Amino acid sequence: MKAAVTTELGAGFRVEDIDIDDPREREVLVRVKASGLCHSDLTVSVNDYGVPMPAVFGHEIAGVVEAIGPDVTEFVVGDHVVASLVHSCFECDRCRAGKPWQCTDPNKWARTPDDPAKLSRGGERIEDFQGIGGFAEYSLVSENQLVKIPEEVPFDAASVLGCGVVTGAGAAINSADVSVGDTVAVFGCGGVGLNVIQGARLAGAKTIIAIDLAVEKFELARKFGATHVVNPADGDTVEQIRALTGGVGVDKAFEVIGLNLTVRQALESLAMGGQVYVVGLQRPDSTFEFEFDPDLMVGQNTIQGVHMGTSSIKDDIAMFAQFYLQGRFNLDDLVSKHIGLEEIDEAYVELKTGKTARSVVVFD
Amino acid sequence: MKAAVLREIGGPFLIEDVDIDAPNAHEVLIDVKASGLCHSDLLYAQRGGIPVPIVMGHEVAGVVRAVGDAVTVFQPGDHVVGCIVRACFNCAHCRNGKPYQCEHPDAVERPADAPSRLRQGDENIAGFFSMSGFAEQMLAHENQLVRVPEDIPFDRACLLGCAVATGMGSALNTGQVRVGDTVAVFGCGGVGLNVVQGAALAGARRIIAIDPVADKRELAERFGATHTVDPLAADAVDAVIALNHGEGVDKAFEVAGRKDTFAQAVNVLGPQGIVLTVGVQRMNDPASVKIEKGVREPQHGIRGVHMGSTNPRIDLPFYAELYQQGRLNLDDLVSTRIALADINEAYANLEAGKVARAVIVFD
Repeated sequence: MKAAVTTELGAGFRVEDIDIDDPREREVLVRVKASGLCHSDLTVSVNDYGVPMPAVFGHEIAGVVEAIGPDVTEFVVGDHVVASLVHSCFECDRCRAGKPWQCTDPNKWARTPDDPAKLSRGGERIEDFQGIGGFAEYSLVSENQLVKIPEEVPFDAASVLGCGVVTGAGAAINSADVSVGDTVAVFGCGGVGLNVIQGARLAGAKTIIAIDLAVEKFELARKFGATHVVNPADGDTVEQIRALTGGVGVDKAFEVIGLNLTVRQALESLAMGGQVYVVGLQRPDSTFEFEFDPDLMVGQNTIQGVHMGTSSIKDDIAMFAQFYLQGRFNLDDLVSKHIGLEEIDEAYVELKTGKTARSVVVFD
Repeated sequence: MKAAVLREIGGPFLIEDVDIDAPNAHEVLIDVKASGLCHSDLLYAQRGGIPVPIVMGHEVAGVVRAVGDAVTVFQPGDHVVGCIVRACFNCAHCRNGKPYQCEHPDAVERPADAPSRLRQGDENIAGFFSMSGFAEQMLAHENQLVRVPEDIPFDRACLLGCAVATGMGSALNTGQVRVGDTVAVFGCGGVGLNVVQGAALAGARRIIAIDPVADKRELAERFGATHTVDPLAADAVDAVIALNHGEGVDKAFEVAGRKDTFAQAVNVLGPQGIVLTVGVQRMNDPASVKIEKGVREPQHGIRGVHMGSTNPRIDLPFYAELYQQGRLNLDDLVSTRIALADINEAYANLEAGKVARAVIVFD
């Protein structure tokens, strides 16, 4: 099948013919109809986060079930599905306690290095990123990573459900527990940031301040629910946020960029008792410095890490798909552009210039 | 009246005669019966950040002697304790049950142009957290006082307003410890022991207390710790995780006020675990966390604790009642009773790690 392969860090995404195995045990073979370009795929294909090479990246897929392994119970051929890189075994104590995002055995259903490779090229193993390897015509995914969605949801819109949506909207709804009347700030209006904004709006936040250097993103930010926008070029970001909140600051600040500087700004923009949610992927070796008393204790603040929006994907993805069909959740505007598998490199260059929210590879 | 006065940062407390004013409209004059020696007073006395001359002491229990003419909640003879939480009871935070986040804590202070509560001749003497407990009498705003049952001995009751409020509150309020939680507590002094017993009251499954002093570990067990760790005998992080059946904990309380114990606290967390920073840390000495691997990816939290998120008029009577029922240990918090004149020696012992809490008792 055709797949975009990355042979080593920084080598980009090259379309090649590779082999994909048949589904074993609880695996599902998905015919990929849409595959979103998440910024994280780029980050981990360039920096060393420990992903074995060569690899097929991509993890935001929507498609149709083509074949199922003998132990699959949740899906049948023809189902429309979305994959997520959230791994939960659904059998450990944490999963059984209703907290699958704390799963202690996330790789339970993954193939081991001793098993035949899911993906290969002339006998050479190719890594399927996050058990999905979405930049490909087909994907072999364990059923614990798949969610069935209504057929009415278009594939390109559905593809963003598995990562950007659950990460962003989940950060607001699950991780931060945004409630009616809250004031929030969202640093970064990319694919994930827009979902933080609309998650906060869905949850009833009163004030949603969107911060981004790229002013062309403000229109989308407003469309997704931002009540105010802040351009750091207009003056001190923290001062601007305080001015918009009567000097008090925000209850919840989401850092969706992945920089030390904006984590600090988020912390300084908090009201008494407020929390910073660190959503954006930071560099693996990055550290954050702070003073206990002035930075954290006087303001009674919290710095809270967020991974994949603290999501329970089987429930959350199904829920957001329903909200979309009700017209209460925007997926269409998260997809800026349709591209072919061979256009991934180019699309990532555009992403870095800030011109697009999300390009999606579409397959016939 | 006699009071322990600090005249220079880093200097000793000097026992002197100090004049105390009569209560204005919203103030209460109390005869101090017991006054606890909190470590925080000593830290500020040594590091600065306070005006001098000053009478410190903020863990106070006593009897109301006189009230201002707008005071309706207290009357002479009432047994009261002071609480470090300063609140106006008028702002949005106070209205919403969060006086510890009050927007106008200065409401409990006299205006700048009013005569000072404490004086020595022409010299104004400051209070600490708007209280001045190292003295025979104290003049405080009624908002900082809570009435307590008369059958609670003063030398136990005084601890309610700081050590107990901070420790219990860190566990119950800020930390939201729940039945079945696993907890680690770094530092078993006066506050740490109350974190331990708060976690025990809340039904934590495992409470692992870490302290280099053997006597404190023993005390921690008496207060409800299920396990203890000597960080000098073994790697604290490895030991905590081993005792927690190979997993990280849900909540780790840093009560020692040190950077190394803070780092350990982060490293003993399980998925979605949080560190509660309770201990007063050195200023101008930042901590550093691995923001991606130590915070974001495992979904850890770091939460600054302020006075145990205490609502004094609600929490203190609750703790007092628990003591009456035998469900809250105050007795073992008091290691030694002293006279006002012994304050410097008692603080020296505290620094040497010898005591949980010394309490000044007045006849």
